[in-house]
Amino acid sequence: MSGSYKLGKLGKMAGELLFLVICVFYLYPVFIVLINSFKNRAELYENVLALPNELNFKYYAEAMTKMNFTGAFINSFLVTAISITVIVVLSSMTAWMLVRSDGRFSRIIFMVFVSTMLIPFQTLMMPLMQTMGWIRDNLHIPMLNTLGGLIYMNVGFGASMAVFLYHGFVKSIPISLEEAATIDGCSKFGVFWKIVFPMLKPTTVTVMILDVIWIWNDYLLPSLVVSSKALRTIPLSTFSFFGQFTRQWNMAMAGLMLTIIPVIIFYLCAQKYIIKGVAAGAVK
Amino acid sequence: MRKKKIISILLAITLTAGLMVSGCGKASDTAASNKTTEKAATESAADSSGTAATETESAADTVEAAKKIVVFQSKVEIMDQLEALCEEYGKETGVEVEVWGTTGDDYVQQLKIKLSNNQGPTVFSLAPGSESDDLISYLADLGDLSFVKDIAANMADEKDGKVVGIPYTVEGFGVVYNKDLINPAEITTTDAFIQMLKDQKAAGINGFSLSQESYFLIGHILNTPFALQSDPGAFVQQVVNGEVKLQDSEDFQEFARLMEAVRDNTNNPLEITYDRETGDFATGKSASIHQGNWCYGMFADYDVNFDMGIMPLPISGNDKLAVSVPACWYVNSQASEAEQLAGKQFLEWVYTSEIGQKYLIDEFGFIPVLTTMESVSADPLSQSVAEYTAEGKTIGWPMNTYWPAGIVDVNLVPVAEKFFTTDMTGEEFLAELNEAFVTAGK
Amino acid sequence: MKKRTDKAWYALFVLPLVFIFTTVVIIPFIIGIGYSFFSWDGIGLNPKVFVGLDNYKQLFTDIRFMDSAKHTIIFTVVAIIFINVLGLTFALIVTSELKTRNIARTMLFMPYLIGGLILGYIWKFIFTDAFSKIGEITGWNKIFFNWLLNPNFALAALIIVATWQMAGYIMIIYITGIQGIPGDVIEAARVDGAGFFDTLFRIKFPLIMPSFTICLFMTLSNCFKIFDVNLSLTGGGPSQATEMFAMNIYNEIFSLNHYGYGQAKAILFFIVVGIVTLIQVSITKKREVTMQ
Repeated sequence: MSGSYKLGKLGKMAGELLFLVICVFYLYPVFIVLINSFKNRAELYENVLALPNELNFKYYAEAMTKMNFTGAFINSFLVTAISITVIVVLSSMTAWMLVRSDGRFSRIIFMVFVSTMLIPFQTLMMPLMQTMGWIRDNLHIPMLNTLGGLIYMNVGFGASMAVFLYHGFVKSIPISLEEAATIDGCSKFGVFWKIVFPMLKPTTVTVMILDVIWIWNDYLLPSLVVSSKALRTIPLSTFSFFGQFTRQWNMAMAGLMLTIIPVIIFYLCAQKYIIKGVAAGAVK
Repeated sequence: MRKKKIISILLAITLTAGLMVSGCGKASDTAASNKTTEKAATESAADSSGTAATETESAADTVEAAKKIVVFQSKVEIMDQLEALCEEYGKETGVEVEVWGTTGDDYVQQLKIKLSNNQGPTVFSLAPGSESDDLISYLADLGDLSFVKDIAANMADEKDGKVVGIPYTVEGFGVVYNKDLINPAEITTTDAFIQMLKDQKAAGINGFSLSQESYFLIGHILNTPFALQSDPGAFVQQVVNGEVKLQDSEDFQEFARLMEAVRDNTNNPLEITYDRETGDFATGKSASIHQGNWCYGMFADYDVNFDMGIMPLPISGNDKLAVSVPACWYVNSQASEAEQLAGKQFLEWVYTSEIGQKYLIDEFGFIPVLTTMESVSADPLSQSVAEYTAEGKTIGWPMNTYWPAGIVDVNLVPVAEKFFTTDMTGEEFLAELNEAFVTAGK
Repeated sequence: MKKRTDKAWYALFVLPLVFIFTTVVIIPFIIGIGYSFFSWDGIGLNPKVFVGLDNYKQLFTDIRFMDSAKHTIIFTVVAIIFINVLGLTFALIVTSELKTRNIARTMLFMPYLIGGLILGYIWKFIFTDAFSKIGEITGWNKIFFNWLLNPNFALAALIIVATWQMAGYIMIIYITGIQGIPGDVIEAARVDGAGFFDTLFRIKFPLIMPSFTICLFMTLSNCFKIFDVNLSLTGGGPSQATEMFAMNIYNEIFSLNHYGYGQAKAILFFIVVGIVTLIQVSITKKREVTMQ
């Protein structure tokens, strides 16, 4: 890692400072969420921008009880973790195969995956529930009101983007490595898991990050699939803060903070891999 | 070789897809094919007779009530208390009542999807009127509940002469005013109201406030001139058919004049949220707001140092509050007989047992809808509503009963937004509102 | 023999996902297409009447729908540019040698975590109250006034919020692309005396072409489908000036109960957008460099 491009030390520091200021400015609305999770309605009315009078965590405590936080957390965790594992495994395999057996058929499958990303979810809600209801009634697979069903549907909806991302990055993997392994007697399965998948790691981390955000925060799909109280995920469990007109902003914002903190922790952990990737690339 | 197999797989997939489409797409037999197997038998019985009235009664003897039912309802504000009530019910009867949750905005859409796909709840809520009309096929006859005869006049939701909906409570809206700043006895006409706006403005106070949320912006306030017509239902129909124009009605002309004065003399409602509207009122910055008794809860965190009341919006000398039932309980007629029975027993218990009534009034803060129940409501706004109701000085809510579904959010709000951001005249405003009704009623 | 096993491998790798995807997305979508030929209010037991192409014919006279399509196109084009320029810039900065890069990466990514209602509420507050206040203080009330009350500025507000929300998201994909560039290539360029912009335009950009394809498409699809922010920030107002396509469909289906007609809108838009994006994807794909 050598020095920067035509920038003196001072200039570099100024650059860093400037960038940090931009970041802080960029983050300001998040800060508003944070401070308002400590205010009551009258304080909120008085001035949304002002700091709270006291740093009282009672709305957090109340929000946690109302949300049944532990139970909801476990549900969210299970759904997110399993969905993403399945998405990563199946999508990377599919995308690799589609790139490597590049025929008309593969291209059609790829195009179908990609083009469905344009369908607004709202138009699929009703027929999706019908299809799942049909599967439940005729094939007796409990797709509705189970976490398994929710995971299944997450995989279906997450497939497009994951295949799309993997498809794009598989190409940057030199095919010669795979050919060498094949000559050495590796099966396709072996080639993929031993050679290709490890090289796709940066993409895998990206897919995981993007899907964690989506699945962890998703409201609409779980609200249709999961009805029972015991199965609620975190976003579902904040419903009682949103009446038709009366919104309990402090609780809603406390609930939001509670929802996003786990994702931030996850992101900080996942970052290590991104940084490693960057470092590895630079050292090479 | 390779292609063939792939093609056969593809064929299999499209075939299944095709089968499912034809299964769900055909006009008449969709309902039948979608039914869950366990429910199919009872449902076809209910369908063939058109109404399940007689069956339910005879079934009551033979069918045993289900041990578990599901309640799904729109009033998020009473959620915790409702769950506590259901727990009490479970303790007393051994029947488990599960309450599903959703946000106030998503409720109706979710209910529709769930009912349509036979994952519906046993007991649910709807606003009586166009909302319950849409879902009429799912509403069980509740005429055999013992307390139906005690429901105050015109409050139960009736379809074809049968009671299908049990009212939650009554709510009333009008002008919520600060008693220190406004004397309601002086404001009985549109002109007096407009004069009040000007006086308050001169005194540095915002005389009256609407807020940007659809119903608070235009839905509620436009309700009043409609309700003043001798037959609001027929009137809406005539407007939709183009036989009558809003701008030709005197009541609406007064309404438009009032709205112009509001635009000229008060804060722009598009900049005011519900939170700000109630906050301004609670802190004395606004002398009055167009709201209902439900907003009292919004003042809990403020030190309100004045008395408040609620008075009619004085268009054409109107001296009545707009009072009606915001929501009713319904039982899902597509649920199994056993579930329906259990659902009815639950409602029966809520409205007749001591503990149920205690919850309705004390915990939910409802105004009683049964003549046998007594009001003990503590908050002054609900008190006013109860008084007006007792004196019979009420007008209805044609906005729920007769207006085309979805009109407020989709068609009226854009017109109101235009009115409050341009200097269009009241006449033009009425013409556009009229147009909105014609469009939405198609 | 070899062909046969190849095929089996192909099926093993591709079929499971294709199966799940078909049941969850394709079949419901086909059913949806079926509904677009019916007049139906979206309620299970209520009658569905076959109307053929009537729903589609009606579309072309629906001024409000055409308006919403226009807003969506303007919004999407501008937002795509903003989001990608900003996202790429962020990605380049946080993969550089700045010491603040780690903390910056987290900060830039956080806006995407705030969804729906609360996001709209916060920004509504900024545009309504904070802007008016700034206007009063600085006197620049030509720029700082309540943007949400002016049709053009409300659209601009929507673009700003969408950019704010999605730039950090798109940044993550660009980061993956940039880190995929082998270090020796950059190093070699530097040894050869290439300056910052030379490396950027001659080496980095061509090598991250796949990321461009992906990011352009992802922003495109997200912008075309924008709903949450639209609903909570402007609600389509003032006077429909910011009513986007997804919101128009949503209203048609769930507020006005015109299920079949709403589906027809969705299908038409899908076809149009599909064609546009397929062209876009195939163009950018051609510019991609495959590493051999």
